[in-house]
Amino acid sequence: MKSPIAASFRLLLRDWRGGELGVLFSALLLAVTVVVAISGFVNRLQFNLERESASFLAADLVVSSAKPVPLEWRAKVDTEGLQRGETITFSSMVISDNDEMFLASVKAVGGGYPLRGSLSVDVGSAQPSSRLPAPGSVFLAPRLVQQLRVAVGDAVYVGDATLTVTGTLLSEPDSTSGFFGYGPRLVMNSADLDATGIVQPGSRVTYRLLVAGSSNQLESFRDWVDPQLTQGQRLLSVDESQPGIGATLERARGFLLLAGSLGVMLAAAAILVAARRFGERHTDQVAVMKSLGATKRMIQQLYALSLTWLGLLSIVLGSGIGWLAQSAMFNALADQLPGEINRIGVTPYLTGAVTALVCVGFFAWPPLARLGGVSPLRVIRRETTIANSTRALDLLLGAASLGLLMLWYSRDLQLTAALLGAVAITVGLGFFVAHGLLGGTRQIGSNAGSVWRLALAGMQRRGNSSAFQVVIFGIAIMLLLVLTAVRTSLLDQWRLQIPEGTPNHFVLNVSPSDEARLLTFFSEREIEVGELYPAARGRVMAVNNAPLPDRDSAEGGARQREANFTSTDTAPEGNEIVEGAWWSVGTDAALVSLEDGFAQDIGARVGDQLTIRIAADEFSVEVASIRKVNWESMQPNFFVIFPDQLLLKFPNMLFTSFYLEPDEKRRVGELLDVIPTLTIIELDVAIAEIKTIIDQVSQAIELVLIVILVAGALVLIAGVSASVDERLHESAILRALGAGRGTLLGAVAIEFAAMGSLAGVLAILGSEAAGWALQTQMLELDYQVQWILWPMGIGLGAIIIGGLGTFACRRVVSAPPLKVLREL
Amino acid sequence: MIKTSQLSKRVSTAESELEILRGIELEIKQGETAAIVGASGSGKSTLLGLLAGLDTPSAGAILLDGTNIVNLDEDQRATLRSQKVGFVFQSFQLLPALTALENVMLPLELAGIAHAREKSEEFLTRVGLDERLHHYPRTLSGGEQQRVAIARAFASQPVILFADEPTGNLDTATGANVIELLFGLNEEEGTTLVLVTHDNSLADRCQRKFTMTAGQLEEAL
Repeated sequence: MKSPIAASFRLLLRDWRGGELGVLFSALLLAVTVVVAISGFVNRLQFNLERESASFLAADLVVSSAKPVPLEWRAKVDTEGLQRGETITFSSMVISDNDEMFLASVKAVGGGYPLRGSLSVDVGSAQPSSRLPAPGSVFLAPRLVQQLRVAVGDAVYVGDATLTVTGTLLSEPDSTSGFFGYGPRLVMNSADLDATGIVQPGSRVTYRLLVAGSSNQLESFRDWVDPQLTQGQRLLSVDESQPGIGATLERARGFLLLAGSLGVMLAAAAILVAARRFGERHTDQVAVMKSLGATKRMIQQLYALSLTWLGLLSIVLGSGIGWLAQSAMFNALADQLPGEINRIGVTPYLTGAVTALVCVGFFAWPPLARLGGVSPLRVIRRETTIANSTRALDLLLGAASLGLLMLWYSRDLQLTAALLGAVAITVGLGFFVAHGLLGGTRQIGSNAGSVWRLALAGMQRRGNSSAFQVVIFGIAIMLLLVLTAVRTSLLDQWRLQIPEGTPNHFVLNVSPSDEARLLTFFSEREIEVGELYPAARGRVMAVNNAPLPDRDSAEGGARQREANFTSTDTAPEGNEIVEGAWWSVGTDAALVSLEDGFAQDIGARVGDQLTIRIAADEFSVEVASIRKVNWESMQPNFFVIFPDQLLLKFPNMLFTSFYLEPDEKRRVGELLDVIPTLTIIELDVAIAEIKTIIDQVSQAIELVLIVILVAGALVLIAGVSASVDERLHESAILRALGAGRGTLLGAVAIEFAAMGSLAGVLAILGSEAAGWALQTQMLELDYQVQWILWPMGIGLGAIIIGGLGTFACRRVVSAPPLKVLREL
Repeated sequence: MIKTSQLSKRVSTAESELEILRGIELEIKQGETAAIVGASGSGKSTLLGLLAGLDTPSAGAILLDGTNIVNLDEDQRATLRSQKVGFVFQSFQLLPALTALENVMLPLELAGIAHAREKSEEFLTRVGLDERLHHYPRTLSGGEQQRVAIARAFASQPVILFADEPTGNLDTATGANVIELLFGLNEEEGTTLVLVTHDNSLADRCQRKFTMTAGQLEEAL
C-alpha cells in the first residue's frame, strides 16, 4: 500500500459513512467526556468549597499562639508572597459612659484581616459595610450594644483606651474559631491595642497570624514554620479547625472521585463491547481485503492508525463537550456558590487524554488486532472460525490498565481495590453462574411453550456471547447500584449530622439558683431546651500519682490538661465506649470516663488512677471507660465525665443548649436581661454555614449521579445493539419459516429480560461487596445490606434490558426477511 | 502457469480425520480457461482455495506462476495474491461501506498500483457501470454487484483469475450476461481463468473441464 496514513483516513471516512463507527466512537467520546466533566467539576467544586470553607478561619492557614508571633514569621509570609493578617483575642470588661459594664470577647484585627470571607457591619447606612474599624473606633456585637446601652457614636472604654462605637457587628467570618472565647464580640483595630494597656506578659491572649495564598506557597510556608512551633503554638487549616466541614468535604471528594472512576469503568465496558462488535462486523471486510492481497501487517497498521485518529478526535471533542458539561453542572449550582471561580486547570484534560489512550490501547485495540489474523479463506467458506472471543490475557491487561488509571485518577488504593474486586466478583461469578443458569434455562425451555423455547434456546446457543453480555450488563448495573447506595448513605449521614432543630446556642455558667428561672424563661416562650449538665472547670494533675508536667512546660509528651468536666449516669448519646464499661446509675464510686484523644494526651488507660483538681480541691478517680466522641455532631460533648454523685460534692455551674429560629434571635438578649450572669455561645451562623455547604455538595452529588446514570445507560445500549446483528439473521430465517411478529418479539423480550435479571443478580452480589468495602473502609459510613435493592436489581434489570433489547431488535421483525437475508 | 503435484488436504473432525483432497495432479497453462465441476461437498471449493493461496495443503506442492506457494507464509501469499491473482465470488464480496468505484480501487491500492482511480473507472465503464460509479453495493442489483466484482478482479490485471460459482446467486438471464462479460474480458486481457461451478453450460464454455469426485480430480477429455 502506498501510504498507510492516507489509506487509514480513507478507511475511517468510509466506515464513518457506513455507520460502522458510531457505537465505538460514542463510547470513546463518552469516556473522555465523562472523565473531563467529572474531574473538572470535582476540581472546580473543591476549589470553590475550600475557598468558602476557608472563610471559617478567615484565612487558608492560621498560626495560633499564646505569645506574640515572631517577627521573622511575618516576614516569611511576606517574602513567600502570601497574604498576611492578624488577630489578637482576649476577654476584657468593657464599660460605657452610663456605667454599664460587660465582659466582652475582644478581637483586635490588623493587616489584611479577613483574608477569606468578610465582615458585615451595620454602620447606619442602607448597605452593611465590610470595612475594618478605623483606629480609635470599635464594632460591637448587637448583644453588647444592648448590654452596654450604647448607640453608634457613643464612647466605650476598653482598659485604658477610649474608643468610639462606629457600627454593629452583624457577622464575622471566624466567629467560631474561638469556641470558648465567651462573651459577645468587640472588634477593634490592632493599632489601638497598646493604648488599652491590657496585653501584658502573662495575660491570657491568643495571637493569630492569618495566611492565605496558593496551595504551593502555603505548603512551603507550612513546611518552614511547622518545625519551629513551640509549646502553645498551633497551625490550623480548614480541615483541622472545623472537623465537621473537613469531613464533609473529604467525603464529598471521595464520592465524586468514586463517581469519576465508575465513569471510566463504564466507558471502558462500553468500548470493549463496541470494539468487539466493530471487529465482528469487519471480519468479512478484512477477509475480502486479505484475499485481494492485504497482509496481516497492512491490516493491523490500517486499523491501528484508524483507531489513533478516532482516539485523537475523541480527545479533542470529548474535552470540549466535557468542559461544557461541567460548566452546565456548575451553572445549576451558581446561585449557591457566590463569587465562584471558573477554573478547572489542565489536569481534567490530561486525565481525559490518558483515559482515551488506555481505552483505545487496552479495550478497543485487542479485538481489532485480531482482525489481522482473519483467514482469507472466509471469502469462500463463511463458517471459517474467527478468533474474536475476548481472551483472558486481554481482560487481565485491560483490568490492570484500568486499575492503574483509576489509581492515578482517584489516588486511592482502597477505592480502586474495592471497585476492581467487585468487578472481578461480577465477572468471575458472572461467567460461572451465567453458563450454569443458561444451561438450566435450556432445560426449562424445552418443556415450555414455543416463544419461551425459542428465547431460551437462543440464549443458550449464544452461550459465550450471552454470558459476556450478562457480565457487561451486570457490571453496569452493579456500578450504578454502588453509586446510588453510597449516595443515599452519604446524604442520610449528612442529614443526621445536623438534623433540623440542632441546638445552635449553648448556655454556660448557669448557677444552680438560676436553674428554675432559666427553665421558666424557656417554657414561657415555648423554646425547647436540652438537658442541663453540671459543668465544672478542672484539671488533670497526675496519672497513677505521677505528676504531669505543667501546661506551659517545654518538655514534650503528656502534660496537665484543663477541661470542662460534667457528670451523668447515662452514657451520652452518640458516644461510643471503646474500652472499659459505663458505670451503673446512682454509683458513688470514684470513677471517670475520658474521651479517647484526651486520654491519649495525658497518657491514661482504663484502670489508671487520675488526680483531679477542681478549684482548690484535689481528689483521685479511676478511669472506668474511654469514649469515642463524634465531634461533627454539633452536640455538647465532654472530654471528662464523672458519675453524678461524685460531682455533686463540688460547687458547680450548669450547662445547656437550645435551638432558636433565625427570627427569634432577640431571645438571647431577653435571656441575658433575665439572668445577666449567663454566658451564651452562639453557633447559629456556623451551623447555618455548614448546612449550606452540605446542601451544595448534596446537589453536586445528585448531578454527578445523573451523569453516571446516563453513562450506564449508554453501556446498556451499546451491549444491546452489539447483539442485534447476531439475532437479525436467524430471526429472518425464522420469519421466512413463518414465525409471527409476536412470537419473535416475545422471544427477544424474554431473552433480554432473562439476561437482564441474571445481570441483576450478579450486580447485587458485586454491589453488596463493593458497597461494604467502600462504605466501611473509605467513607467511614455504617454499612447495611440494602435488601430493597435485591428485588429492584432483578426487576429493573429484566425490565430495562428487556425493554432496550426489544426496542433495538424491532428492525428484526419489521424488516422484510428477504432484505435481511440478502444483506448478510 | 499453475501446476500441482500430489496435493492433498485433510481435516480433523471430532470423530475422525477426513480426507477432502487426495493426490491432485493438475496443470493449467497461461491463457487457458478451465472449469472444475462436481457435486456439493466433493472438494472443489477447497481446491480453489488452495490454488489461490487462501489455504494451505496437508501435503503436496502448488506452483503458481513458477512460485511454490506451499513454502510461503500467509503474508507472502497475500503479497503474491495482490500482484498476480484476481477473484470473483458467488456472493460478490463487495465491501458494503465502499462505493462501486472504491471497491474496484481497493486491490489496486493494496498492490500500490499507480492511477488506481483512472484504471478503476475504465474497468467499470467496460462492464457497463459508468453511470453507477458512486453507488453503494446495497443500491445495486445482484447482476450489477457481480459486474462490479468482475471489474475489481480484472482491474489489477492479474495473471490468473479464480471464480467461485460466479453465477450461483443470479437468475439465468443475468447469469448469462455476467458470463459473457467474464469471458469477454478474459479474452481481451489474456488472463488464465479457473472457475468452479455446478453449471454445465458454463463449464462447457471453458477450454478444459475437470470433474471432482470424492476428493479426486479427473479431466473430461
